[in-house]
Amino acid sequence: MTMLSSVAERLYWMARYLERAEDTARLVSAYNHLIMDIPRGAEPGWDIMVRILDAVPTFEDQFRVASEQNVLKLIIADADAICSIPHAVRAARENVRTTRDVLPEEAWELVNELYLFTRDSAEKSVGRRNRHAFLAEIISRCQMINGLLLSTLSRDHAYRFIKLGHLLERADMTTRVVDVGAGDILDREGAFEAIDPLLWGSLLQALSAMSAYRRQVGPIVEKNAAVNFVFMQQNFPRSVRFCIRGIREELRPLKNNKDALRVAERIRRRLRRFEADAMTRPELHAFIDDFQAQVNALHQAVYDTWFQPETR
Amino acid sequence: MNKNWKTYRAGDFFDELITEKGGPRVAARQAVNLLQSLTQEEMSARRSAAEVAIREMGISFTVYTEGGNIDRAWPFDIIPRIIPAREWQRVSEGLVQRSRALNMFIDDIYNKQKILADGVVPADIVLESDNYKPQCAGMSPRYGVWAHICGSDLVRDRNGKFYVLEDNLRVPSGVSYMVENREITKRVLPELFENYSILPVDDYPLRLYETLASLSPRDRRRPNIVVLTPGIYNSAYFEHAFLAQGMGAELVEGPDLFVGDDDCVYMRTVDGPSRVDVIYRRIDEDFMDPEAFREDSVLGIAGLMRAWKAGNVAIANAPGAGVADDKVVYAYVPDMIRYYLNEKPLMNSVPTYLCMREKDREFVLNNLEKLVVKPANESGGYGIMVGPHSTRATHKKFAKLIEQNPRNYIAQPTLSLSTAPTYIDNAIQPRHLDLRPFILQGKKSWVTPGGLTRVAMVKGSLVVNSSQGGGSKDTWIVEGKQ
Repeated sequence: MTMLSSVAERLYWMARYLERAEDTARLVSAYNHLIMDIPRGAEPGWDIMVRILDAVPTFEDQFRVASEQNVLKLIIADADAICSIPHAVRAARENVRTTRDVLPEEAWELVNELYLFTRDSAEKSVGRRNRHAFLAEIISRCQMINGLLLSTLSRDHAYRFIKLGHLLERADMTTRVVDVGAGDILDREGAFEAIDPLLWGSLLQALSAMSAYRRQVGPIVEKNAAVNFVFMQQNFPRSVRFCIRGIREELRPLKNNKDALRVAERIRRRLRRFEADAMTRPELHAFIDDFQAQVNALHQAVYDTWFQPETR
Repeated sequence: MNKNWKTYRAGDFFDELITEKGGPRVAARQAVNLLQSLTQEEMSARRSAAEVAIREMGISFTVYTEGGNIDRAWPFDIIPRIIPAREWQRVSEGLVQRSRALNMFIDDIYNKQKILADGVVPADIVLESDNYKPQCAGMSPRYGVWAHICGSDLVRDRNGKFYVLEDNLRVPSGVSYMVENREITKRVLPELFENYSILPVDDYPLRLYETLASLSPRDRRRPNIVVLTPGIYNSAYFEHAFLAQGMGAELVEGPDLFVGDDDCVYMRTVDGPSRVDVIYRRIDEDFMDPEAFREDSVLGIAGLMRAWKAGNVAIANAPGAGVADDKVVYAYVPDMIRYYLNEKPLMNSVPTYLCMREKDREFVLNNLEKLVVKPANESGGYGIMVGPHSTRATHKKFAKLIEQNPRNYIAQPTLSLSTAPTYIDNAIQPRHLDLRPFILQGKKSWVTPGGLTRVAMVKGSLVVNSSQGGGSKDTWIVEGKQ
């Protein structure tokens, strides 16, 4: 099967944006739950969302106060902000539009419906009343699209680049959530001991790792076990380790995969050394920083090898 | 029972389905009887069903309206146009003959120019035309065919006789509508198909594939064919995607292709460069190759002309084919048929006055209110003046335009285009129409059974172009006792 580089690139980005939309919705949703459980004055503040999504400059351009309203206006309703859900959805749709011939017929319809839903409901979902339903709908529509692709796409190049996009984005998002979220909790260690398990629980929730954690580790959520689980659990499909293994699997059958595989292998080796118990807060941050740089390098290798190959 | 049919009269025109006396033509009898038996409510329900079907399938087409292009859902009339197969057979032969002669003409013009030397066609009108591309001189594509896909516009006069109005040899579009229209009719009026044997049209992408494959410079079981589109904002993008999908070919844009040091064309794939054998280009030749044509083209592929001239890639339609797609050259097509084929033209052409000729010009200027004036080199129905339907001010404006640039204008008598019953405002009303069949030429020639019927939805209007508010009808070529 021939796969144009330009088509592969669009599929990859479609997957990244879909994953981003879903992960962002999960993140906001989990935080939304948490905030209601925490005593007034103890909550970490909404700016943490902006920091996780790497959107501080964008936010500060438009708002002065990191209030709930302002932060969610940006993430839920501002289609022009790169960190927003509607932006991710629109970008996903743009990419499907020109790759419809390699996707199952319903893919376009589902993505288009997701887009129409987001466009029509985002504005009125900033407030607490509709927020939850909106985020739940985004998540379930993204899942529907993933389910369709998983159950109908031939396991060829198209599938491969979609999966690469999903896994790369997921690994990136997961480490970001841990970096900022865990960092924030750790920074205040001991200050609110009573609610710490709650905070760690919501972190797992944000990564939809809560029920898997409960079944494999137990109902008590505790810092090191939680971070280890998110990074290293080998069977949980949203763990960092699982993502990296998946990426390596998808890279292997591709031609000219040397550079990308080398980076993926490097990531795997570093990940093997990961041990939350032995890390201080600055060490964890440094590790994640480096990890994200490697994920970027992997993206660059994929880009240089398959999307913009030097052919002349 | 729909009373409309009883009172339906086309007036002083040939009607495709109903005779002057008001009864159905033989081939249309079954269909008209069935349609007559439907109440107005039922007719409206069928029309709504068609609209839904279009929107459903249109999910694939109309979404592209964003981003400011001119594409829109196109009005479809549910009453099919019916033509007996025996009659179509003659038209089809005439079209093949015409297409052969046109291709011989193009090949001649870029090579020996015999027809010019013999004075059959004046050299200046050909060589000074913008459509003549000196970059193509000396090239002789496989089978001597330049225009592999030709869309000719046909009309019928008062007596029901077919005329060729123009030949589109550059990038004719609309064939996907022909296929989709049949699909819609099957969904909304399935009973109509019960008593007919109608020639199928949905094999067009396969025929196109065969034609294109026959051009491949490499002898391979499955040559690499690509459809080259200007991109998503082109109004015909869905057709490009439709045809690529139907042929199992790649839909590519300029940046997907490049010309290697070996003067071969490659597409950039994730497995590395992959050589391309045939390009079905749906972009204008002026934008095809910045090295050979417009330097500012971002759609094009540098070196494409080099690759083509070296015989390493086939391009359909060949660059330069437009030299025969010119309303002035049109006037000479019957002469070409006699000159190259030594045959009598089977299809009628419309008498054409060339404003560049002094005598013709004088006649045109004195009869503007009776004639249709067209620019020699426009398509899409732009810049046309229909004399009898225009104001005196417009006549004056065109008189001035003609005097300023006589080479650029031709005039033809206003034809009484045929009509067909069309369902408008809950009534059956006559509307004018034309027909665009597609003629494929490669190793073999083939004509679509029927083609795309375009309808002027506005009462009395003769302009059928989709860009000017035209609609379309499913077109049936039916076999059987007539």
